[in-house]
Amino acid sequence: MKQKHSIEKYLFTVPVIIYSFLLILLPLLYVLLISFFKSDSYGGMIYTFTLSNYAEIFNITYIRIFLKSIGIALITTVICLFIAYPFAISLMSKKETTRNLLIKLVMVPFLMNSLIRTYGWIVLLRKNGIINSALIGTGIINSPLSLMYNNLGIIIGMVYTLLPFMILPVYSAVSKVDPNLVEASYDLGASKIKTFTKIYLPLTISGAFNGSLMVFIPAIGYFFITDILGGGKIMIIGNLIKNQFLTARNWPFGAAISIFLILMTLILVKIYKQLGGKMDDLGGM
Amino acid sequence: MKKTILLLIMCLLLTGCTNKQDGKVVNVLNWSSYIPDEVIKDFEKEYNIKVNYGTYSSNEELLAKLSSSKDGTYDVIFPSDYMVELMIGKGMLQELDTSKLTNYRNINKVFLNQSYDKNNNYSLPFLLATSVIAYNSENVEDIYDYGDLANEKYKNDIVLLDDERITIGAFLQTVGYDINDYNDEHLEEAYQFYSKMKDNIKAFDSDSPKSFLITNETNIGVLWNAEAILAKEHNPNIKIVYPRNGYALSMDNYVITKGASHVDNAYLFIDYLLRDDVCQKIIDDYPYISTNKNTSNYSEQELKKILENGSYIKNVDENIKKFDRLWAKMK
Repeated sequence: MKQKHSIEKYLFTVPVIIYSFLLILLPLLYVLLISFFKSDSYGGMIYTFTLSNYAEIFNITYIRIFLKSIGIALITTVICLFIAYPFAISLMSKKETTRNLLIKLVMVPFLMNSLIRTYGWIVLLRKNGIINSALIGTGIINSPLSLMYNNLGIIIGMVYTLLPFMILPVYSAVSKVDPNLVEASYDLGASKIKTFTKIYLPLTISGAFNGSLMVFIPAIGYFFITDILGGGKIMIIGNLIKNQFLTARNWPFGAAISIFLILMTLILVKIYKQLGGKMDDLGGM
Repeated sequence: MKKTILLLIMCLLLTGCTNKQDGKVVNVLNWSSYIPDEVIKDFEKEYNIKVNYGTYSSNEELLAKLSSSKDGTYDVIFPSDYMVELMIGKGMLQELDTSKLTNYRNINKVFLNQSYDKNNNYSLPFLLATSVIAYNSENVEDIYDYGDLANEKYKNDIVLLDDERITIGAFLQTVGYDINDYNDEHLEEAYQFYSKMKDNIKAFDSDSPKSFLITNETNIGVLWNAEAILAKEHNPNIKIVYPRNGYALSMDNYVITKGASHVDNAYLFIDYLLRDDVCQKIIDDYPYISTNKNTSNYSEQELKKILENGSYIKNVDENIKKFDRLWAKMK
């Protein structure tokens, strides 16, 4: 009986193991490997060991791109936090059916390709787009606002695309907070803000960090948003990596930046664990 | 149920075999949105040859696809000038036998013997793209070259191609150097010019810069000639100029890969595209400059002038890294 059980276990886990090995681990190892090669000018590689690709990252030009990416990702994360908390807390006072419906609505955008949704924003944000036309039509402004092809456009796109990744973990953390604690806080005369900082925040901090990771990390790499809504004027790490593979024909350098980015991510995950976060929450939201 | 599935599988296997035996296939890899679907379908019907049509969106992608697949995977491909040179150097192409192309005579001689393949041993010209400046003459004064784009009046009003070689090349030409120059000081001068016009640039876009002009998002754009012509069809006020200081030429070519597995069909396919009526259909949809002398919208003299004043982007080997670093610095 026991034996049969373990055979079944293998049957179900082996495909996943093969999948992860072939499609995740091997390509990553390949990226790690080529990051130590030299590039030839034809997009090929010279198979000699070098650390020059990693040294190149510390060129001031690339450092600036790293800082800019981190800045954009941080702003995105903070805005997402500021939207997700009020949303999640206000959901708690709703009826269960309404709550479930609203949470499902948060996930509806996933049904459509994010690239197409990003293109949709062009129609809204451009100079003669819907928002500007409406504002001019109602006489609120005289000349069109620059809503896209700048940092603002990128932030709008990032927040829009990544917000669900913040709302879901924050909501799941907030929903576990004992309502009696909140009630007690109000009974003792605490203000809404005080209740938030003393009750909600400490109890949901790992959910918030979980969401922040899931927003921050993609925000560094989502090159299509900077390309489309930033007008290709602003380069983040994602664009830099893409360029190395597609235009500069310098795969080893692109690989080195990718590895560097992975290291940065691992450090963030480490911090998350130190704060008491569980790895299961990261994958299984 | 099982039987039908089995039958279906057998049928599939059998057709797969016959296809191989007859060799009624040609494997084509071409630029995305470059040949209307209709043209391909007509070819399949007329010659009873199946076209396996794949696309790429940059020469680098083509190179990567070709080098990562085994010999004979692709028969006909359409690399641009510098990529033809590179592929010849790497021994990836086979010599062409023009006697197998009955429509060879349709090619306008001015497009032959270009610098990247001196005697056209390996390649024949297909379509010519040039970078041009297009502007809305209703809202903007006459523009003659990139120097005019630095005018303070055009704040946030210009879209440029999102291509490091073409755009930095144009800046190089503006400050008086060759489009393929990679001298550090000259690149720095080009960067200085960029700093001057930086505030005028609304966006870099290579996918569809024409939409910027059509929707009035910007009044000025640097784009490929076909895109400019399509924008002009939408808005007749748009004027197209070949910049005085020079511009980029990009010629796409017919080539057959070394080790192609359907060489005869590859020749048939190229010969078909060289036909006047087929060529006309292509440039109706994608109005690049046709190399077919019977379907050209330009006079012989105009074509000569366009070729003379434009420059091909050349391979700069290791120095591509300089362009890449500058590009990253600009953004």
